[in-house]
Amino acid sequence: MSWIGRIRRTGRIVEPANDAPEACVTPPTGVTGSLQLRHVDAGSCNGCEVEISGAFSAVYDAERFGVRLVASPRHADGILATGVVTHNMRQPLLNTLGAIPEPRVVIAVGDCACNGGLFANGHGVAGSVADVVAVDVEVLGCPPTPAQIVAALRAVTGR
Amino acid sequence: MALHFSPAVPELGEGPRAAQRTRSARLSGGLTAALGAVGLALGLSVIFGAPRHLQIAWLLPLVGTRFELDPVSGVFIAVTGAVSISVGIYSVGYAQRERWARVPMAVLPLFVAAMLLVPAAGSVTTFLLVWELMAAASLILVLSEHRREAVRSAGIFYAIMTQLGFAMILLALVVLSAASNSDAFTAIAAHAGNLSPGTRATVFLLTVLGFGSKAGLLPLHAWLPRAHPEAPSPVSSLMSAAMVNMGIYGIIRIDLQILGPGPRWWGLALMILGGVSAVFGVLQASVATDLKRLLAYSTTENMGLITLALGAAALLSSSGAPKVAAIALTAALLHVLAHAAFKTLAFLAAGSVLTATGLRDLDKLGGLARRMPVTTVMFGIGALGASGLPLGAGFVSEWLLLQSLIHSPHDGNTLLALAMPLSVGAVALTTGLGIAAMVKAFGVGFLARPRSGAAENAREAPLSMRAGMVVAATACAVFAIWPALLGPALRHVLAALSTVGGHAAGPQLGTYLRLPGVAGSLAPALLAASLLASVLVALGLSRWGARHRPAPVLAPLWASGSDALSPRMQYTATSFAEPLQRVFDNVLRPDTDVEVTHFAESQYLVEKVTYRTRQADPVEQRLYPPVVRAVTAMAQAVRRAHNGSIHLYLTYGAIGLLIVLLVAQ
Repeated sequence: MSWIGRIRRTGRIVEPANDAPEACVTPPTGVTGSLQLRHVDAGSCNGCEVEISGAFSAVYDAERFGVRLVASPRHADGILATGVVTHNMRQPLLNTLGAIPEPRVVIAVGDCACNGGLFANGHGVAGSVADVVAVDVEVLGCPPTPAQIVAALRAVTGR
Repeated sequence: MALHFSPAVPELGEGPRAAQRTRSARLSGGLTAALGAVGLALGLSVIFGAPRHLQIAWLLPLVGTRFELDPVSGVFIAVTGAVSISVGIYSVGYAQRERWARVPMAVLPLFVAAMLLVPAAGSVTTFLLVWELMAAASLILVLSEHRREAVRSAGIFYAIMTQLGFAMILLALVVLSAASNSDAFTAIAAHAGNLSPGTRATVFLLTVLGFGSKAGLLPLHAWLPRAHPEAPSPVSSLMSAAMVNMGIYGIIRIDLQILGPGPRWWGLALMILGGVSAVFGVLQASVATDLKRLLAYSTTENMGLITLALGAAALLSSSGAPKVAAIALTAALLHVLAHAAFKTLAFLAAGSVLTATGLRDLDKLGGLARRMPVTTVMFGIGALGASGLPLGAGFVSEWLLLQSLIHSPHDGNTLLALAMPLSVGAVALTTGLGIAAMVKAFGVGFLARPRSGAAENAREAPLSMRAGMVVAATACAVFAIWPALLGPALRHVLAALSTVGGHAAGPQLGTYLRLPGVAGSLAPALLAASLLASVLVALGLSRWGARHRPAPVLAPLWASGSDALSPRMQYTATSFAEPLQRVFDNVLRPDTDVEVTHFAESQYLVEKVTYRTRQADPVEQRLYPPVVRAVTAMAQAVRRAHNGSIHLYLTYGAIGLLIVLLVAQ
């Protein structure tokens, strides 16, 4: 039964939930506290992906605030896009956005997604996410920390 | 200058020939359907009327032929007749589309006539004569497309196995006939009680193996998944829906009625044989990708269920539970009828898919629902029946079987306490996997998008083929919704089977199916009515609610981000069955190999992956080669005596005559 003792000894490791940040957009479905997102890697170096998985890990636990990553855009309220948009991923990004029912929200995570970052004007790059689709929320940083990502997501869910 | 000569098809010559073929097809199909109608009428008149018998002395030298009709033969004659009506109508269109030669057209009615005579036979010689006539006629029909190598191989397989089964039946019936010193079944039945246990056991084992091979039971089932796919579809239909029943008829007539009631291990042996066949058949069906092979294995499965029910009836009857035995017996008879209906329909629908596309491979079909709506609905009704779900033809009988197994009394009886729960498990597993197999056949074969050009250009079957299918579909609907219609007939048949609990009060087939002494009832008609009502209510509500809803928005289908869906993204029959194949790897033993080719520049980049899987029959692979080797060795030994010298043969004849004269002295 050592695992029970271990749980007791370890205690809470999750980051404390501070006060909810001010809402930056109206919740897409009109319901606060729930946001289902489909993640699209439009051409990322995978740095932002590591931080996103950190944001949804047990430590930062973004699901506490009503955000979930879903498998199908049909189930989603919006897109979580990372990386510069490469020519090959331009159309899939548009297709994914088209598959999400309106109203929907587009969240760009990382410098590359917001303004091209390190890869702006590079070979095979179509531009930033904002060059391809209309972006509602930007999370800057190369890569942004999980805490920044969680804060941005809370600003959308309103919790 | 190069000239290309194409083999000119004489347009003028085709006209009269086609007209002649149309005439022949109508004659053959009409005759088949008419024979079927006569059989149905005769069967029904025997079930409800008095037993009849007919002796034709001049037809066979020395013994003559003898036909006897009682309710048990009546029900099998009626089933064969009903199947033949449907197949006869269907074959009019099929024979024209597939350009049948004269031989199959001529043999089709003969085959039906032989099948109608088998249950009517009243003596050992007559039975063996018509049995062999049936086997020979079906063999000719299997070989109708004998120009294809696969058909010839299947034909040889079928010929050998059916003769092997016949040899066992012949031996058993000759032993039986000699021991009771009579040829007629009635006389044998009267003497059966005086036979020694050893004789009875020998006859039982030989007949169960022989009739089991006709019914497609393990281990002599291997002809079934070969011959059924290669035979023309109306023939597969007749063989799978009517001819296999003759094996069941043989088991009922010889083992349960004439020899019975037997010792308890008979019932147990039938249950084990049936249970193993059912589970094995359905497993093979669920991983099969050939539509007709799938249906053939489903026949093994259903015959297994019927045998299991018969075994349960025999075991329960000899364990002093006649009421529950009567339920099991009703389940067996009802399943014979239901299986005949849905399997006819499924094979006929598979046949119209085959004529429209030339394909049996489910991995290349698909998208037929738009192109062949009638055939799709028909196959759907057949598949629903085969999956044993409510409102399918096979549901009521499988429900009855499960009720009899669950409610069997086993106060202190270890055998029953062990056998019955295990059988419930086997039946449940069979039904569950059967649903998977049928969902695969219908979903992959008929829905979604076509996977090949042939499936894309499919056209609906002609009128006569559709009419033949509608006849079988009507029968399916009756079994599913209004089984009460069969109640009076089944009561008469049960009364004739007193050795396996038929004398006890059987289940009452009314609007409510009530079981004697068992707290369980079922009302298929009310079930159907309530389902229909709830569908109508749901439709009405959604219409009513739609007034306030915004207009629907059309969005492209989600193709995981890529631009267009392609048929290659769909589930195939192979991928649908892959999890099952993985789970039952030890039983199925599939032959799978994966070949990965890398680019020459880098071993980290894959150029192509080839996946090949072949599902062989494990029982056939393990059991048959040693037997075949032994038979070949024996044949080689016998060949030494056959060296072609006529002098030697004359000597054999002389010695043989001498021995006969000495013995007969």
